[in-house]
Amino acid sequence: MRREKDYHLSDPTWCPGCGIYGLFAALKMAAGDLDLGPEETVIVTGIGCHGRLNNHFRSYGFHALHGRTLPLASGIKLANPRLSVLSISGDGDAYSIGVGHFIHALRKNIDITYLVVDNRIYALTQGQASPTTPLGHVSISAPFGTKELPLDGPRLALASGGTFIARGFSGQPQKLAALIKKGIQHKGFSFIEVLSPCVTHNKIISAQWFKEHISPLDEDPGYDPRDRKQAGEKLIKEDKIPVGLIYAEERATYGELVLPESDHPLVGNDLDLDVKKFEGILEEFQ
Amino acid sequence: MKKKGTRIRDISVMIAGIAGDGVLFTGNILARILKRQGWWVYTYRDFPSNIRGEPTNYTIRASLDRVQSRADEIDVFMAFDCGAIIDHADKMAEGGLLLCDGVGLSRSTPAQKKKRTYHIFPLRKLARENFKSEIYKNMIALGALAYILDLDFGVIEKLISEAFLKKKGKEVVEKNIRAIRLGCQQAEKIVEPEELHPLVERKEAGRLLLSGNDAVALGALAGGCRFFAAYPICPATEIWQWLARYLPGYNGLVVQTEDELAALNMALGAAYAGARAMTSTSGPGGSLMMEAFGLAGMTEIPVVVAHVQRVGPSTGIPTKTEQSDLNQWVCGSHGEFPRIVLSPGTVEECFGFTIKAFNLAEKYQCPVVLLTEQDFGQNLFTVKRFDWNEVEIDRGKLLSQEELDGIKDYRRYELTADGISPRALPGMKNGLHMVESNEHDVRGYRDEDPENRVRMMRKRMNKLKSAARDSIPPKVWGEREAKTGIIGFGSTFGPIREALSQLRDKGIRAKYLQMRTLWPFPVKKAGEFISSCDAVYIVENNYSGQLSRLVQSQLRIPARIQIKNILNYSSLAFRPREISTEIQRTL
Repeated sequence: MRREKDYHLSDPTWCPGCGIYGLFAALKMAAGDLDLGPEETVIVTGIGCHGRLNNHFRSYGFHALHGRTLPLASGIKLANPRLSVLSISGDGDAYSIGVGHFIHALRKNIDITYLVVDNRIYALTQGQASPTTPLGHVSISAPFGTKELPLDGPRLALASGGTFIARGFSGQPQKLAALIKKGIQHKGFSFIEVLSPCVTHNKIISAQWFKEHISPLDEDPGYDPRDRKQAGEKLIKEDKIPVGLIYAEERATYGELVLPESDHPLVGNDLDLDVKKFEGILEEFQ
Repeated sequence: MKKKGTRIRDISVMIAGIAGDGVLFTGNILARILKRQGWWVYTYRDFPSNIRGEPTNYTIRASLDRVQSRADEIDVFMAFDCGAIIDHADKMAEGGLLLCDGVGLSRSTPAQKKKRTYHIFPLRKLARENFKSEIYKNMIALGALAYILDLDFGVIEKLISEAFLKKKGKEVVEKNIRAIRLGCQQAEKIVEPEELHPLVERKEAGRLLLSGNDAVALGALAGGCRFFAAYPICPATEIWQWLARYLPGYNGLVVQTEDELAALNMALGAAYAGARAMTSTSGPGGSLMMEAFGLAGMTEIPVVVAHVQRVGPSTGIPTKTEQSDLNQWVCGSHGEFPRIVLSPGTVEECFGFTIKAFNLAEKYQCPVVLLTEQDFGQNLFTVKRFDWNEVEIDRGKLLSQEELDGIKDYRRYELTADGISPRALPGMKNGLHMVESNEHDVRGYRDEDPENRVRMMRKRMNKLKSAARDSIPPKVWGEREAKTGIIGFGSTFGPIREALSQLRDKGIRAKYLQMRTLWPFPVKKAGEFISSCDAVYIVENNYSGQLSRLVQSQLRIPARIQIKNILNYSSLAFRPREISTEIQRTL
């Protein structure tokens, strides 16, 4: 049985107090709880401060292009469904440059886990407004305040056919680890938005701000994450940010629908040509 | 001019009308009949990029010798409307025969004056009166053509049965055959015996009739491709449609992605996991793939991109041919990284080079581009059966689990003499590593140290040195001793070869260097060819002479040798005469 420390490859160097430390801890806890084999796990990261995470996590890692983690991770999973594939993005990665991929990954329901680190700012490029930056927020890219409405990832996910939609907070790594664990166990595309303060470029949306603005769903005894309508209503309410498991349903994964021989990943195919079978195909060109 | 009464050895038949008329369907059937009667066929489609309403034409060239280019003239012309005549009558050969549904041209048309015959042939009226539906005009037209060309009715009936029996039933088959017979009888009433174009009789030779896109798909399947991701785009989609039907039978997968950014990234993911993976695209799709193309170069992941060139820039002319994306794939994406760009010149090469593309990608762990053109992709060619001995799978330095177990301290980007590092796949024991889009060290971890940067750049770029020796060399055609040279790549192969024989007939000796690998550039072979000439014509379907610039940037060309460009950016493929007359004029 592996433990948290078995996934700790090296010490990360994010700014002291950065929310991504909380995600890093939560991910190691979840991996330990599930006893994930490092050699059977691939973590794909995008561009942003989160992108370094797989440099420090013991598993196979792929630091991809900005916004393109999902198609890459999908290709890995479909070619070898035996791997546990996680994709990590920032809010810029997921909701801006890669938002097209996000919607279609939700539709396809490929069995990967997607963690979106939301610090509501472009941190690695020094603090420009991101798609989740609140209206009117002053930053170096918007000295007179942003004029665009912020985007709500879980709301978009629900509208796009997401089968596992959750939101966690990096300041509560235990709870976040539990959500990640559930997400990895979920059969299909699991999406977890991780609220994560940037201590350097976003002085307003701090850890304290998040603490004051979140509303844990598990404290609402009437809330049923299998109820789509309830989930929608919860997400539309503007007063608080719901955290916890927002919505989950069972639906056939893309892999189940298109890969009949799931016991034989296509990476394991014998590539030698069966000439007789091939000659049969050529008949249509007569 | 074709001699009357003798049987014909080379013919060009145009069918023209409005998109939605059934021109493509009728033309494809005629092409297949001719192929089955033992002829070498090349079809040329000149279609608008819409489904209905605009002029469209389809030319079938058939010959007893292998043909792979548009004919210089049209011998028999079946026009579904008068507009088609106005567009193409000037291309009629002397002695040519034209049938048109409808009146619209006076008897004094230029086509009439120069020994060309014109008949009104009321296709739609015949269809309506006999079958109560205009759709039968296509088979009536086919019947008339069968009479004019003296085709074998046994072959035609068999093909019609194959085309309709399963999907539409026996009744439809019979009705279509009746329409063909009607067309034949009507043509007999209208066309004079001396206007006929009877073909020499030939026997079926067991060859295949397929497009370049078909051949790329077949090559991918034979070459071990088991993962294919793409986004719909003309004129590349046939590759995907074909693989979508057959890959599942080989435990493979075809995925439709949301865009071309995703297509190449997804193929890369599958390739990283160990599958032979590919995408296909054209025009703007190629532009979107540039980003991931560089990622493949940086991370040393073997992946194949089949890019079927269409007219650009921007949306351009999606269904017509051009060779203007050479620069993009040879030089494109930001930064510098190794890539291999192959350019097949025949359909057989489309098949063979696709297999080779997968082998090169895995051996050199870099992206390989198979650059073709719409002319190739969507036109049909008669080809010999494929040589299965050509099919071999070489996975390069891909490690087995056993080999990996024997390595102490595995390093994915280990420095080696040839720059190629042994490759472990995710899921393997003892192979943990990082793959980085950033500059990285031998373990794959980000490293911005200038000395490391130089080491890793050299490692990656050095792979091209051995790839250059292993890639597909250019091929010389024509008279080796000639002092006039032609250089071309891709689908200009057909027209250039035919232009060579036209020049020979005029007493001009010439030779042709067929570029089959564009990158790494074949410096030695191309240099030798050019040095042996006094004048070199570089023939390509673009405005700026992209191949010409590439050749001149890679070679030091002595001043005594004249380099001239013959360029065609009209959106149409070259006719052989356009090349041969230009050479004659300027030599």
